[in-house]
Amino acid sequence: MAGPAVAVRGMRVAYGSLVVLEHVELTVADGEIVAVTGINGAGKSTLLFCLAGLHRPAAGTVTVLGAPPRDDAAFWRAVALVADQPTWYPGLTVREHLELVRLTHEPVNGWCLWADELIDTFGLAVRADAVPLDLSSGQRQRLSLAAALARPSRLLLLDEPEQSLDPGFRQELAGLLLEYTGHGGTVVMATHDLDFAAAANARRMLIADGRVAAPGLAGPNP
Amino acid sequence: MIATTAAGAPRVAAIRSFIRGRRHRPWYDWYFMVFVVGLAAVLLSDLLAQPFGRLAGSGGLAPAQAVAGAALVIGSAAGLLVLAQAFGPLALSPADAGWLLLTPLDRRDVLRRSAAMTAAVSALAGGALGVLGLAMAGPYLRPGPRTHRVPWAWLVLAAVGGAGFLVAAVLAGVLAQPWPRWRARLRVAGAAVGAVAVVAALTGERWTGVSLSVAGRFAALSTGTFGLIAVAAVAAACLGALLVRRMLPRFPAAVVRADSMRAGTALMAAAFLNVPLLTWLAEDSHWRGRLLASRPWPRGPAFVPGLSPAFVLAWADWRRLARRPAVLTALTVSALAPALTGAAFTGHTQGWTTATVLLAGAVAAGTQGTTATRRDTNDPTLRRLLGVGARTALGARAVLPALLGAVWLALALTLLVLTGELPGRPLDGWLWPLSGLAAGPGMAAAALRIARTAPINPADQGSDTPMGTAPSWLITRAGSVSLGLAAAYPTLRAVLAGQVHGSTFAAQLAASAVVLGGYLIRAVRAAPSR
Repeated sequence: MAGPAVAVRGMRVAYGSLVVLEHVELTVADGEIVAVTGINGAGKSTLLFCLAGLHRPAAGTVTVLGAPPRDDAAFWRAVALVADQPTWYPGLTVREHLELVRLTHEPVNGWCLWADELIDTFGLAVRADAVPLDLSSGQRQRLSLAAALARPSRLLLLDEPEQSLDPGFRQELAGLLLEYTGHGGTVVMATHDLDFAAAANARRMLIADGRVAAPGLAGPNP
Repeated sequence: MIATTAAGAPRVAAIRSFIRGRRHRPWYDWYFMVFVVGLAAVLLSDLLAQPFGRLAGSGGLAPAQAVAGAALVIGSAAGLLVLAQAFGPLALSPADAGWLLLTPLDRRDVLRRSAAMTAAVSALAGGALGVLGLAMAGPYLRPGPRTHRVPWAWLVLAAVGGAGFLVAAVLAGVLAQPWPRWRARLRVAGAAVGAVAVVAALTGERWTGVSLSVAGRFAALSTGTFGLIAVAAVAAACLGALLVRRMLPRFPAAVVRADSMRAGTALMAAAFLNVPLLTWLAEDSHWRGRLLASRPWPRGPAFVPGLSPAFVLAWADWRRLARRPAVLTALTVSALAPALTGAAFTGHTQGWTTATVLLAGAVAAGTQGTTATRRDTNDPTLRRLLGVGARTALGARAVLPALLGAVWLALALTLLVLTGELPGRPLDGWLWPLSGLAAGPGMAAAALRIARTAPINPADQGSDTPMGTAPSWLITRAGSVSLGLAAAYPTLRAVLAGQVHGSTFAAQLAASAVVLGGYLIRAVRAAPSR
């Protein structure tokens, strides 16, 4: 694919009369990990939703994998979104949820992990046959993230993936994201954890007052 | 082996079969569903027995009652349309929205079942309303020279007509769903139709000439008229279905996702009678995305220095209500409900239906002034920051719901007098609204208790009662209704008897004061009511 994985130009986003983001410029190269940081309410999740095409900007252009977000089968085959407030089928187990993700993305062409691998990698082996209702909040977050890797994709959009995760697993997750990009994927994630971002070797982008205050912070955390 | 489409993508039916085959639905889920349907059937059959009896041409019926009934049916259809819009109308289960929507699966296949379900439910409700509308007009219909019994053909055509029109209206809601402006217009149209129906019904009740004229037109209806109506309705429904079918593949995921989440939470809240959660959702959805002009807090009454912060705290609800004139308008219009429901359904203007609607309406009006109480119950940070005692705060916060309950009851009773459903001799005419005003503080107690009800915990094992284990949420909600009933008992009893005296007013004043006083003392002593 020629060009960046994500390109945002002059984007303005508003909820009614409330302007959340303005003059947003962002370019994410293919295979890159970008960590969007900022205080609560800065508009990090909104930016991710715009990239996923779930919120339409009031102005500006958004290009994802070479085209505007299209909300069609081809787009959702290439883009995986892990948002807050995940939902579950009450009677399905952890393993069945992961198998379901793979089934919904048949035929599987591209890098992804099988349910058994994900269960081991995400430390869910002892809870593989439990229903998500019986999991702790951290285990549910692990399941959400595992589901994103149970299917092939080219762009991973993660909204605060570190939520409820213990520090040890955050480091493991950073390694998994690096492995994902090693297979050609790109990651854009909203996060508050700068150590996690650094472990994932992510370029940090700061949103403040509705604008991109710093588009490319790298290196050690302050 | 999962079946696939020509393009190699799996079929949604096969995915659903995978989910269905592995879901372990407990027996009590089915029991709950059967119980709810059974209970609804019993309650509705009791309520509708009288109007449906009119299909046999039995019993005398005032023209005003027939007109009010027909108008109420039209108003109910408009209300259903507005309600459907609040739930989508097209929505998936939250799990389907989370796991099937943002995938390569064919969007039409994912949404087809929900669209069909929406149409089926609309058809059922519309069919029932169609038959009910026919029943309301029953005695004034002229099916034949020597009979008043409505023929089966009319019943079928009325059901088909009602079903067709409601399906068409709800599918129009589906078509408008992705467009906020059209969505708002449809909501306004539904509300306008409802308001016109209510005003028409009231006009018919007040002026006999109008109701006689309308009831006279019922006599001109024939099989041909009903057939034409049914054909037009079915054509409209088919057109709506065709347009929706063409739209489904491009239906925006963002809209379905947001509506599915809200509908899922709302349905769960409704299933558990979790009124606080429902109102919480409605509040959030109203205020999200709005920019308001901040204004300073008012100074409290200087003559009682200790009470000043409490009234500052309570002012949040006054300000919120002042910023929502539509709520006040809706409350004012809803005061017509007792006059309409009593006349239209039971034909007994001083019956239980009127009393029940009076009580429910007054408590509902009171709850419109308890938002801040609801939000503060589990997190009284602001109250503590202001150094206000719990009882003082609750007392200050009781003023607005008391006022709302009192004014609503007074207005509803006045309308009952004006429409002739309650006796309105010179003295009685004043005593009815006065009794309503006196019941206000009691209504505040019920509204505050509802607002302070803790969220429902579905895992709650419940309490032992002589009739078996009962969930805590059921007991607490029944408690709130009982509180309202005790507070308004003198007035409601007078409504049932159709007579009001000076002693009614005095008793009402005493009952209301005792209930509110008792609640304020007890509520603060205990933890927030469950």
